[in-house]
Amino acid sequence: MKENVVIIGGGIAGIEAAKQLLLLGYSPIIVEKQDHLGGHVAEWHKLFPDMTPAKEIVDQMTSEIGGANVFLETTVSSLNRLSNGYSVVLSNGIAIVCRAILIATGFHLFDAEKKEEYGYGVYNQVITNRDLEHWFNSGKDVRIDGREMKKIGFVHCVGSRDLKAGNSQCSKVCCVTAIKQAIEMKEKFPDAEIYCFYMDLRLFGKKYEDFYINAQKDYGIHFIRGRVSEVGEKIDGSLQVKAEDTLSGKPLKVTLDLLVLMAGMVCNPRTTEIARMIHADIDTDGFLRSRNNIYNIMESDRPGIFLAGTCTGTKTVPETVAEARAAVLSIHNYLSR
Amino acid sequence: MRPDFHPFVIPFCAGMAFVLGYCFFGMIHILFQLPRRDRRHFLLSLVNPKTAWKNIRDIFLNCLIHVKLWKRNPLLGYMHSSIAFGWFMLILLGHVEVLLFAPGHLSKFYYPIFFNFFVAKSEETIGGAVLFFLMDFFLLVVLSGITLAIIKRVRSLWFGMRRTTRPSVLDMIGLYSLWAIFPLRLLAEGFTAHISGGSFLIIPLNWIVRGFLGNEVNMVPTWWAYSIALGVFMAVLPFTRYMHIPSEMLLIPFRNAGLCIRHPRKGFAKIQVLSCPGCGVCIDACPMSAKKANIKDTTVYLNRQIRRRNEKRIEEISDKCMMCGKCTALCQVGVDGPLIRQAQRSMRKYAVEKDYSAAVSPTPVEKAEVAYFAGCMTQLTPGISRAVESLLKKAGVEYAFIDREGGLCCGRPLMMSGRIKEARELMQKTKESILASGCKTLLLSCPICYRVFREEYELEGIEVIHHSVYFYNLVKEGRLKPTRSDIHFVYHDPCELGRGSGIYEEPRKLLRTSCYLVEAAKNREESVCCSGSLGSLTLGFADRKELTEAALRNLTSDIPDAIATACPLCRSTFRRYSDIPVSDIAEVIDSRT
Amino acid sequence: MTDFGFTRAKSSTVNLDEVDTSLYRKMLQVEPDVKRCMECGSCSAVCTAAPLSGMSVRKVIHALERGVDIAPMLSGCMLCGKCTMVCPRGINTRHLILSLERYYKEEEKA
Repeated sequence: MKENVVIIGGGIAGIEAAKQLLLLGYSPIIVEKQDHLGGHVAEWHKLFPDMTPAKEIVDQMTSEIGGANVFLETTVSSLNRLSNGYSVVLSNGIAIVCRAILIATGFHLFDAEKKEEYGYGVYNQVITNRDLEHWFNSGKDVRIDGREMKKIGFVHCVGSRDLKAGNSQCSKVCCVTAIKQAIEMKEKFPDAEIYCFYMDLRLFGKKYEDFYINAQKDYGIHFIRGRVSEVGEKIDGSLQVKAEDTLSGKPLKVTLDLLVLMAGMVCNPRTTEIARMIHADIDTDGFLRSRNNIYNIMESDRPGIFLAGTCTGTKTVPETVAEARAAVLSIHNYLSR
Repeated sequence: MRPDFHPFVIPFCAGMAFVLGYCFFGMIHILFQLPRRDRRHFLLSLVNPKTAWKNIRDIFLNCLIHVKLWKRNPLLGYMHSSIAFGWFMLILLGHVEVLLFAPGHLSKFYYPIFFNFFVAKSEETIGGAVLFFLMDFFLLVVLSGITLAIIKRVRSLWFGMRRTTRPSVLDMIGLYSLWAIFPLRLLAEGFTAHISGGSFLIIPLNWIVRGFLGNEVNMVPTWWAYSIALGVFMAVLPFTRYMHIPSEMLLIPFRNAGLCIRHPRKGFAKIQVLSCPGCGVCIDACPMSAKKANIKDTTVYLNRQIRRRNEKRIEEISDKCMMCGKCTALCQVGVDGPLIRQAQRSMRKYAVEKDYSAAVSPTPVEKAEVAYFAGCMTQLTPGISRAVESLLKKAGVEYAFIDREGGLCCGRPLMMSGRIKEARELMQKTKESILASGCKTLLLSCPICYRVFREEYELEGIEVIHHSVYFYNLVKEGRLKPTRSDIHFVYHDPCELGRGSGIYEEPRKLLRTSCYLVEAAKNREESVCCSGSLGSLTLGFADRKELTEAALRNLTSDIPDAIATACPLCRSTFRRYSDIPVSDIAEVIDSRT
Repeated sequence: MTDFGFTRAKSSTVNLDEVDTSLYRKMLQVEPDVKRCMECGSCSAVCTAAPLSGMSVRKVIHALERGVDIAPMLSGCMLCGKCTMVCPRGINTRHLILSLERYYKEEEKA
């Protein structure tokens, strides 16, 4: 009989891990709280830097895990340590005994309403990065449909690098996501002026810098170094944002038709709950603590508990996939010992 | 007949002369510290019959009966009034006795105190019997108070006191001598009762002591001990917390005269500091005490450090306070800690000159009957200003949003930082921008602005009103018709609106029109500051977290579904750490209208 | 010195070899959190006094580190607290401003 490995979370990390575990002859069991696999990526439209459709990636990955057990709309109710492994009880009543568990619970998108000065949930013209991707996919959003789009703003670092919002870390992917979404908006509204309000542009990944140059050169997107800190409504109902143009050292205001907030990544509250069940530690950045942040990021300091993806910190899609594979190798080594 | 004088009265007389002299010269000193205008104002208030009556009534109720303490904790109230009022009656009746039975000796001020030693009077006349009975009765009352005081030292929780201050060495001397006075008096009178008479208490005691210690040699030493206890208490009194007893009698007329604190160490502030009994009620009251490290920054310690002239600590304590005013609300003598601190802050010299001469509101002038001024804080919480505007539109009110695109600061933050002169300059500019709208009603959604506009601006002909009251009036007039939901809200009293401006009822009545209202464990004048206050100069972001969490625990003790408040700063502060939704009262009503 | 009828303009270069950073060091003692500043400009954008005196806490911190005079900017500050409220790094900007106004040119005064 094949050995069970429980994967908590059916995002891209969980799917990739399941695929690799199947190849190595294990029986992966995915526990996913939503009604579909793919996590946040499944909600996205296109992925940087090559504008790959997200659906294509998720569908491709999902098609390869036919042999895995997948429990959708299911959560972990309890996790107990046994002498040689764990017993996992699921919300649907099923209990599983296994020697290894992979935590791939991912991240939680920062709740933009918490930055109340941006007026998300107050003003109709303010949306988040996720709302925009949803609109790209579905083509439906009353806040965008049928309205004239002459000026669009993107605010980077919403709920990232923000001690007051409880997350002092950089979310790593928002800069390039903002550029991607700005380009997509420019393609949809060629006459619109698009402004990206950034604090520091962190474009570290493969081809990101080219992406940024193209955004300026080919799409004419404006980059303003300054964090938007006040959003108000003018008497005619239009939205006015205030920032400091820190490079000229002058206060700046601009009237916008749409303001997109680049909500950052914070640790998933479910991850913290699971960590509590197995007495795993939370690192000082609010994400799960790995055994070692340099060469052992996919192992926790609990035996048989492995980690993959954004439960240990902010990551891009390729990083997450690579980490899932690495975690599977660690699991294999652990189980064959 | 006994002699007119005995050397044992000397300790008492010396102590009494010292304390009276000290208090008299102290009073003169403090009166001269008052600015000339204030002093004149105070002296005139003394001859005004209305204030004079108020003074007498307040001194009687607060210094002798301690009504405020009774409300706080009956046991604590009884302890204080039994000692204070009982002692007062003993002195008064002592004088009555002298007047009736030895009128020739009224000039000797030790006579009423040691009456039983000097005058042998039998209780057989009706007057004597009644007087002796009353004397014994009040002595018993005082003794019961002393017994409670001794119990309180061990079990302060029975008296509703969680934390209290540690007394100094002199305080301890004062305390023990105070405790000793009345048992010694009982004993002394017990020894003499067969000669000078007594009533239900000291006559039986006399039988006992004479039965055991028949020798009359014991009589004089107990009178000596009684006099020494009195003398010691009087002699140390000015240097102990018991200085609050005479000080409060001056504090009350000062307060009734309407004086302001103009200097942190002189005049009115000085008498406030001296009136602090060091009881430590403010320690439990202070929202900063949620963090143990802040306990030494409460008002009782400020007063102590001012008496000890510890400049470094005075500055630290003054700068840290959030100015929520809860210590003043709960203080039994009414020491205004925040204002002493504000005066202390105002002493500081700054090297950068402020210049607001060119300040103008960036929003174009718009004329209307009702002017809505959101203020700096509401500009960062657009949800509130949107809700206010929406409600105004629903009620059909013609209004102008006079700082829609930004405005000037109301000046309250400058005041709280002690920059009074600068605040007045800025307020003049802000006043001009308000007057430009030609409004009759100035509507405010920020209690910080509301308080300063109401107290300092002198906007003649303009009604200054907070949105919670304004919208409640609109509901009463039927212009707004909110519907009720099943949500249970708890209402948080913002410091500046509740304690600062005395508005407790309207927000509650308004909320009840659209939801169920539950109360926080501590509410109204005991409401716990959200700790986002601009009052504190030095508390940083990280220092405030624990305090906000403690305030949230207090709010959610009755497990409400959501929190409603009426201040943008409270709302933002609570939202940061609350597990349940936090809304402004305007948002709650708007969602149900 | 010979008068050529013109003078050399004062150099606008910030010379780090010569700047006086005593006030900056004093400020670090009083409010060490300023080290957290990432110059995002939030404080400047919301500032009520920015139109009046060009006030900007970000610029003040930056100028101090470079030894540039800050008094003109501070003169308009109303201590309203908006900058403290929006600062993503939780810097106590009001205390910073009050301390700077207090210790400004302290050596000269003494």
